[in-house]
Amino acid sequence: MKIQRRISTGITNSRARRVAMAAAATLLAAGTLAACSGGSGSTTSGSKTLRVLIAAPQEGAGKALQADYEKSTGTKVKITVVPYDQIQTKAILDAQSGANQYDVIQYWYTSVGALAQADALDDLTGWVDKDKDIDKSDFIAPIYNAYTQYKGKTYGLPFDGDTHLLYYNKKILADNGVKPPTTWDEYLADVKKITDANKSKGIYGAVMMGDKSAFNIGSTFFNRLATFSSSPIDSQKPDLTSPAALAAAKSMVDAAPYTAPSPSQIGFDQALALFLSGKIGMMEAWTDLGTFAQDPSQSKIADNWGAVPLPAGAGGKTAAPLDAGWALGVSPSAPDQDAAKDFVKFATSKAENLKLVTTTGSGVDPTRTSTLESDKYKSFTPVVAAALTQILGNAQSWPTSPNAPKMIQSLNDNLAQMLQGSLTPQQALDATEKAWDAL
Amino acid sequence: MTTAAPVPASADGPRRHRLIGWALIAPALAAVAIIAAYPLVYTVLVSFSKSTLGRPFQSWVGWGQIVTAFTDGGQLASILRSLEFAVPAAVLSVVIGLVIALSLDTATRGGRVVRVIMLLPLMTPPVMAGVIWKLMFAPTGGLFNDVLAGAGLVTEPVLFLGASPAAMICLIVVDIWQWTPFCVLLIFAALQSMPREVYEAAQVDGAGVWRTFRSVTFPLVLPSLVTVLMLKVIVSFKVFDLVFVMTSGGPGLDTNVASFNVYRTALQQFDLGAAGAQTIAFIVLVTIVVLPIATWRSRLLKAGSRA
Repeated sequence: MKIQRRISTGITNSRARRVAMAAAATLLAAGTLAACSGGSGSTTSGSKTLRVLIAAPQEGAGKALQADYEKSTGTKVKITVVPYDQIQTKAILDAQSGANQYDVIQYWYTSVGALAQADALDDLTGWVDKDKDIDKSDFIAPIYNAYTQYKGKTYGLPFDGDTHLLYYNKKILADNGVKPPTTWDEYLADVKKITDANKSKGIYGAVMMGDKSAFNIGSTFFNRLATFSSSPIDSQKPDLTSPAALAAAKSMVDAAPYTAPSPSQIGFDQALALFLSGKIGMMEAWTDLGTFAQDPSQSKIADNWGAVPLPAGAGGKTAAPLDAGWALGVSPSAPDQDAAKDFVKFATSKAENLKLVTTTGSGVDPTRTSTLESDKYKSFTPVVAAALTQILGNAQSWPTSPNAPKMIQSLNDNLAQMLQGSLTPQQALDATEKAWDAL
Repeated sequence: MTTAAPVPASADGPRRHRLIGWALIAPALAAVAIIAAYPLVYTVLVSFSKSTLGRPFQSWVGWGQIVTAFTDGGQLASILRSLEFAVPAAVLSVVIGLVIALSLDTATRGGRVVRVIMLLPLMTPPVMAGVIWKLMFAPTGGLFNDVLAGAGLVTEPVLFLGASPAAMICLIVVDIWQWTPFCVLLIFAALQSMPREVYEAAQVDGAGVWRTFRSVTFPLVLPSLVTVLMLKVIVSFKVFDLVFVMTSGGPGLDTNVASFNVYRTALQQFDLGAAGAQTIAFIVLVTIVVLPIATWRSRLLKAGSRA
C-alpha cells in the first residue's frame, strides 16, 4: 500500500510537473508572440513627429526640409529614405498592411493612379483649392496635371519636376568637329563619328541608359517618343502603333552599338560617372546634372560641359518628357492630417522649391514658374535654366493610370529585349501593345 | 501479510498523457503554422483571386491565373531559366566541393587554416557578393576587362553581364563561388566520419588512389553527396539576391529566373494573384526536380543500413 501510494504520489507529482511545464511553455510562447507584435507606427508620445517617406535621389532635399521645417515650426520630422524603385511598394504595403508608418509620402508621379486606387494617398482636392498660400497656378501646368491628378481629383503637390536635356562635353565635341545636334539623325551621325575615332582611348560619342529598372530605359525611349511625336503623348495609353513610336525605338537601336558598352547594364549612376569622368561626348540626363558637372569633387568636366534641349525627330519638335518626377502626398492614415498637409505645403512652396533647386545635391528640379523665372535660379545654372525655359511648355507625360506600373514594366522588358537584339523595334512595340491591351 | 488490492489504473491516464504531449508541442506547432502553413494557404487562396497589393481578394477568378502560370510563355521561360541556373550550379558545387573536401581530408598541414579561409565566401552576404562581382565584371573599369585588355587578349570590352549566355554563366560562377564552401564543409564532415578500417583493408589489398576512391570512398560518401546535392538544388532554385544586384533579370530577360519573376509581378506590377499562381508553379517545378533526388537518397540510405 505504502509502495503503491508512493508510486501513485510519484506519478501524480511527475504528472503535475509535466502539466506545469506545459503551462509554462504555453505562457512563454504566448508572451513571445505578444512581444513580436509590431507597434502601430503611431507618433511618439509627447512632442509631435512627422514621418516622411523620401526617395533616395532626393535624400539631400529631405534632410534640408527636415532642418528647415523643424526650425520653422518646432515639429520634429523623421525622414525615411528608400531606393527610388521601391518607394511605390513601400507606400502601398504601408497602407495595405495597416502599419501606417508614414504621414507624408513622396511618390513617382506615374504611380498616382495606382496609389490613389489603392487608397494609399489622401484626396487633397478641397484643401488645395481652398488654400491660397499653395498658389496652385504657380505650378508649371503640365507638371501639376501629370503629377497630381487622378479622375479629376488632386492627390499630391509637385516636389521635383524632372525632365531630360542633352548634355555634352565641349572638348570632345570640339575635338571631333561636331556641334550639339538638333535632330536625332544628327545625334546618330555625331555619336558614330566620335566613337569610331576615339573608342580605342575609351571615349565614346554617347552613353545610353538601357538598364531595365524604373526610369532608365524608359527615359531613353520617352525622350525619343516625345520628340518624334507631333501630338502629345496620351498619359492613359501612349500610342505605340504610331510611326513616331517606331522611329523612337529604331533610334535607340541605331545608336546603341556606338554608345558606351553596354547599354543594358547602364543606369543613371553608371552613366553619370562615365560622363563626369570626361569619357562621354553626350548624355541625356536630368536637369540637376549641371550641378554635379560643376562640382570639382566629383567632376572632371567643370566648365567644360553644355546642355541643350533634346533633339527632335522628323515631324516632331523639341519637348520635355517627364522622366521620373516626384510629388508629395498625404497618407490617409496620418494621425494628424493637418500637420502632414502643412509639411507638404511647406516642402512644395515657392521659397523651398527655389532654395532646393539652387542647392547642390538636393536632387530637386523646378516645379514652379516663379522658380524658372527667378534670377537666382538663372544665375545658379544659366545653361540649364535657358534650356528648360524653351521646353517645359511642351512637357510630355508617361502613363499615369492605375495600370501604369504594369504598362511601364512590360514596355521596359520589351525595350530591353530590343536592345539586346532578341526583338526588332516593331516586335518590341507590338508585344508591348498586346500586353497593354490585355490589362 | 496482507496484499493491498491493486489501485485501478486511471482511465484518463493515456488521454492525459496525450493532452500533455499536445500542450508541450503546441508552441512549436503554432510557430510552424504561422511561419509555413499560413503563408502557403494564403498563397494558394490569393492565386485563385484577383488581388493587388493594395486590394487583396477582390474577386474569385478560379483556375485562370494558375493555368496561365503553367502555360504562359514568359512564365514557362522563367521556370526553365531557374532550372538552367539551379542544376549546373548545384552539380558543379558538389563536384568541386568533393574535390576540395578530398584534398582537405588528405592534407597533413595547414588544413585548418585553409578551411577557415574557405568559409569567407559563405560568410559574405549575398548582396555584397553580387555587388563585388558586378564591379569585377563591369565592361569599363572592371577587373576582368582591365586584365584582359592589359594582356592584349581583347580590344573591345567583354560584356560579361550584358550578353547571353555569358550573363547566366557569370551568375552560376558567382553562386558556385559562394556556396561551394558549404558543400565542402558537409562533404568533409562525411569523409571524416568514414571508417578507417576499410581504407586499411584496401591498402593491404594493394589498391591505388584511384581504385580506392572508386571502390571505397565514393560508394561510402555517395549518400552524403546526394544529400548535399538535394540541399544545394533547393538553395539554387531560391536564388534572388544575385539576380537582383547583378543583372535585374537582364540582358533582356535572359536571367529572369522564376523567383525574380515572382518579385517583379508582386512588388513591381503589384499583381498579387498572378504572383501567387507563379509561386505555385514554381513550387511544382522544385518538387519535380527534388523528388527524384530525395528518392535516390532514401534508397542509398536504406541500402547502407542493410549492408
